[in-house]
Amino acid sequence: MKELLRTEGITKYFGGFRALHNVSINVDEREVALIIGPNGSGKTTLINVISGTLKADSGKVFFKGADITNQEPNLLYHCGIVRTFQTPQPLKELTVLENLLIGAINPGESPWKALIYRSWLKKEEELVERAIKILDFLKLSHLVNRKAGELSGGQMKLVEIGRALMTRPKLIIMDEPIAGVAPGLAHEIFSHILVLKTRGISFLIIEHRLDIVLSYIDRLYVMFNGEIITEGRGEQGIKKVLEDPKVVEIYIGE
Amino acid sequence: MMDILQLILLWFGIYYIVAVSLNMEFGYAGIPNFGKALSVLVGAISVGGILNRLLIWYFGVKGDLIEGSTFAIARMNEIIAAHPLAGIFLLLIAILLAMVVGFVVGMIFILPSAKLKADYLGVTLLAISEAIFLVCVYNLSIIGGYYGISTPDILAFAPGEKRGWIFAGIVLVFAFLSFLFMEKLLNTPYGRVLKAMRENEDVVKCFGRDIMKLRMRTMAIGSAIGAIAGVLYSFYTGNIVANSFTRVEWTFFPFLMILLGGKGNNKGVALGVLAYVIVIVFLDIYKYDIKEIFHIPFEPVWLTYILFGITMLLILYYKPTGLIPERPVKTPPVKRIMED
Repeated sequence: MKELLRTEGITKYFGGFRALHNVSINVDEREVALIIGPNGSGKTTLINVISGTLKADSGKVFFKGADITNQEPNLLYHCGIVRTFQTPQPLKELTVLENLLIGAINPGESPWKALIYRSWLKKEEELVERAIKILDFLKLSHLVNRKAGELSGGQMKLVEIGRALMTRPKLIIMDEPIAGVAPGLAHEIFSHILVLKTRGISFLIIEHRLDIVLSYIDRLYVMFNGEIITEGRGEQGIKKVLEDPKVVEIYIGE
Repeated sequence: MMDILQLILLWFGIYYIVAVSLNMEFGYAGIPNFGKALSVLVGAISVGGILNRLLIWYFGVKGDLIEGSTFAIARMNEIIAAHPLAGIFLLLIAILLAMVVGFVVGMIFILPSAKLKADYLGVTLLAISEAIFLVCVYNLSIIGGYYGISTPDILAFAPGEKRGWIFAGIVLVFAFLSFLFMEKLLNTPYGRVLKAMRENEDVVKCFGRDIMKLRMRTMAIGSAIGAIAGVLYSFYTGNIVANSFTRVEWTFFPFLMILLGGKGNNKGVALGVLAYVIVIVFLDIYKYDIKEIFHIPFEPVWLTYILFGITMLLILYYKPTGLIPERPVKTPPVKRIMED
């Protein structure tokens, strides 16, 4: 399999606190990689560094072989990386439909082109249609015109996932995508992730609910105190990781 | 009574242009532009500082800006009296000039936002605008400062009693054009991405947009439109005095009008402007009567400010969405879905 994302020795300090130490991970094309670890182990910091929200103190991030270390998030989007947030970040005063439409760029967002309706109308029709399809899948159709600020926490998560699906990204980074989502729907989200995987999208996911996600992932990393303590790939590899006494002690044994 | 109506229409028009452009910057894009007065001042500079100099040069008048203006404008007014089209032409030239200057100034003005956010940005914009205002007041060579400078009478051809109405008409035409422009410009993906930026910059950034570029373009357009109001006001008064471009009148009042009418809603803003203009016009005319009747123990000029404070508090406390709440950006496909 071809490598998509690779980090090399990422280190990040917050003042004197070492949040990440020498973290190296890989995500291949058409792969779902999962990072687990107790609270405060650096998972979110790691994906913030990868997605450009935080700057690494040292180490490198490569995407499709190109060095993308410390790039601005808006440039990473154009490389094909999108992300969702741990605490949902809905655009509260905007409707659910509008929230999804922000997921994809329309040429009409330039004020000069905005005045020439035909330069963006076709794209807009296309994006609205895509948004409606995604909302159908996420079972949010009945909320299409509601303000995102009025939704429940779980629904907000779904809107975020919907927004990430609006583009055709290469890599979707998700921070706890199913926290607060009912198990049935959580399975549905992950089965959709599998479908997207076959279409060539890779995923880097942080999630606590191993029971639900285990059957959907290809690669597993375990983080503790800002370091990757063990990793495994494929069904056998993941099983080995989960039987690792260190992992049992710090994560499952809690 | 007709005079009052005329004043209300005139001020409504001028303030609507300022408020609707501020609504784009603040109501849509969430930029706390506490330096809105600067764009109006830019309009005045375009007339008094640039157009007047061009006229002085064109007529070959001697003397400094203040003295030279008087003679050059006397010559220009004679021409306009004989050829009404010259007056309209001069107005259009001034507006075009002000829009170009406003566009450039707006783009530069917002650069501090690269490092600053929210309140800090607001205060910085206020400070920049105040500094430029003070320089214009005390440096007489820009637009005549506190001394003042005459402006061409673009209605020199019209008889006395009709002038006010013609001018109110012209102002309303430009106000209506600003409304149409904003409605057309903002009911598009552009308007939507501005609102998204107001709600959460980080999300918009993570989805590939260049925030700085969006802000610069928005402020450029907003300042260009705001400068039109400065031009109309300068021509209306016939005499630019730099002291009149204060932050209270040209920044804080428009903010209040937007909050009152409904931020992010161009029609709501019209209602807010109208309501507020009616109140300040009546207050201005009857302030001494009000002082008599209610035995107010202070100068009645302060009534406007007191009213400003009270209204602002009441709106923010009881009706933060304003009189007409904001509506989603309606591009044709979105409109269809909303009506289903």
